[in-house]
Amino acid sequence: MFELFISNPLVLMMIEVLVICIKVVVVTLVVFSLPLPLTYIERKVAGHIQVRLGPYRVGPHGILQPLADMIKLIFKEDIIPYKADPWLFKIAPIIAMVPAFAVFATIPFGEKVTIPFIDKEVTLYISDMDTGILYVLAIAGLSVYGIILGGWASNSKYALLGGLRSSAQMISYELALSFACIGVVMVVNSLSLVDIVRAQSGWHWNILYQPLGFVIFAIAGLAEINRIPFDLPEDEGTLGAGYHAEYSSMRFAFFMLTEYVAMVSMSVLMVILFFGGWDGPGFLPGIVWFLIKVAFIIYVIIWTRFTYPRYRYDQLMTIGWKILLPLSLLNILITGLVVI
Amino acid sequence: MTEQIFFFIFAALAVGSAIAVVSLRNPVHSVISLMVCFLQMAALFVLLRSPFIAVVQVFVYVGAVLVLFLFVIMMLDIHKASMERFVSGGQLGVIGLLVVLVIEMVLIVSKSKLAGISVASVTHLDGSVREIGEALFTKYILPFEVVSFILLVALLGAIVMGRKEVK
Amino acid sequence: MNGNHYNLNLKDILKKVFFVDLIQGLFITFNYTFSKTITLRYPDEEKWIPYRRFRGLHTLNRNKEGKELCVGCELCQKSCPTQCITVVPMQDKTGKGIADRIAYRWEINLLRCMFCGLCEDACPTEALKLGREYELANTSMQRSLWTKEELLAAQEIPVEFDGGVIVRARLERDDKGLKVIPDMSVQKRWW
Repeated sequence: MFELFISNPLVLMMIEVLVICIKVVVVTLVVFSLPLPLTYIERKVAGHIQVRLGPYRVGPHGILQPLADMIKLIFKEDIIPYKADPWLFKIAPIIAMVPAFAVFATIPFGEKVTIPFIDKEVTLYISDMDTGILYVLAIAGLSVYGIILGGWASNSKYALLGGLRSSAQMISYELALSFACIGVVMVVNSLSLVDIVRAQSGWHWNILYQPLGFVIFAIAGLAEINRIPFDLPEDEGTLGAGYHAEYSSMRFAFFMLTEYVAMVSMSVLMVILFFGGWDGPGFLPGIVWFLIKVAFIIYVIIWTRFTYPRYRYDQLMTIGWKILLPLSLLNILITGLVVI
Repeated sequence: MTEQIFFFIFAALAVGSAIAVVSLRNPVHSVISLMVCFLQMAALFVLLRSPFIAVVQVFVYVGAVLVLFLFVIMMLDIHKASMERFVSGGQLGVIGLLVVLVIEMVLIVSKSKLAGISVASVTHLDGSVREIGEALFTKYILPFEVVSFILLVALLGAIVMGRKEVK
Repeated sequence: MNGNHYNLNLKDILKKVFFVDLIQGLFITFNYTFSKTITLRYPDEEKWIPYRRFRGLHTLNRNKEGKELCVGCELCQKSCPTQCITVVPMQDKTGKGIADRIAYRWEINLLRCMFCGLCEDACPTEALKLGREYELANTSMQRSLWTKEELLAAQEIPVEFDGGVIVRARLERDDKGLKVIPDMSVQKRWW
């Protein structure tokens, strides 16, 4: 009876749809809740680098601090400035947040796993697109809208300057970032993220074949997610808080969330493109290796934040256009010559 | 069936947002509508089985061109711009012209030979990146190179025009 | 980079290309990540015990026989720049004071006191001393008015204790408010 039920084509289709829905919900929930531990880890790492303790009082070793912060943000007053553009002001955090989540639609977390009980193979990615890496780069580029619109709609000088800086920065560094990806694509011969990971299995990690591309990707990626040393859009010293200077309550929380999700997606992309995805010694399952690598890169990003000072704006543009862009073109040229 | 439903949703949104682009008073709101319109176009490309074109649409138009639009518009005095009238006088004449144009377009599309031919049958592509790349670099290499040359000239022209005079 | 004309030799160029300085910077912060922190976990776990020279809450002392040293001379009241001390000496019916004179009332209004220590200097009998109690915050103004009996009571930190250390402490809350109770047996100096 059960066998018959399982083999019915309609039921099979329903199961497929159900599996996709479950995957989407799980990925969204995990990504949505990741910023909570990440804020805690960031503050702890900051504290210990500065020979402090970081959050310590809420819960043992301050472990409940992010929850307290979340509750505080939810219950704060949502202030919309007089003379702000109310419609854009309200929608900007959401415009910023949606692309950050949409990126995860193509991110592969591991190979197929078989679920016990129903004996069904499930892929650990939502979809394997033919144009995976292009999709990720295109969608990741969209989150600049939230920042620009938030900055403009606030009708404040600091926010507007933050938004302008951010748009200029993101456009400049997106070029270098995409060109660095082209090197990987040329080596692997595919745009699909799953194929890129599969091509690197057995320690043929792309960082060995594309060291220059990796350096360009890492620097441009840091600039793309507005982290120190490239966090000019929210430069406290000159702009107050930059594009979210006028935001409060949950709308501010959405911007924070976007930043952390962008950090996660950039680390995930770096692992997939250059560190072999879920490839690793066999004693641990692939997804564990994947998570370990992502966690390490997130740690390095936080670590650099509390090590380096911020670049000046003209230096930022010089690095983007005069150093990274020619270098990435050179990388493509070298890769092309070697591959042929 | 499902595809048709999706097509109508995307098409309706695209037309609606395109109307919003020209009818909204605030230029920034217009740019947002244009962004929505382009995203719907990308969705339509996906329905046409060409994800590559869809992604490039998002990448180039939404990701780069519109950001530059916004960048420039944000520098304007929005209050003044939104007070200006788009078409001074003669509203009725403009609408009449619009109707004539629409009828003309419908007639051209329906009466011409192009009407019954699908895009895929002309190019023999199924939209995968490999095939597009091969077609571009073998069959269509001359147009491709000419286009890139024109773009290079435009780039150089922009640099020359934007450069400060050196005494 | 633009306009700076350094004389770069090969070593400097290689240093720049391979981010040597940046990586050295990363290792410096990495070492600090695992070094001992200097945070004083007051009030939950630790508390700073000041030196004897600290000027905290006033104490009124007794001599070895347990007699009050204060003779009610009112010099502290006269010397106080903010006039927060009130001294009323003990009187008998003669109106000339008594032979073995002590204070009848000795009150200090800590809301006005600025802990300058002039009263301590003025005191001829070393009865008045600014002690080491510094947690004086409370929820009612009335509680900032300290009387003789309270000030005569033994201090939490004994006079013999040298101070200048961090001791283990615990935070206690009751209906009177918060209190950080030190445990003198466990001491540390982080420097």
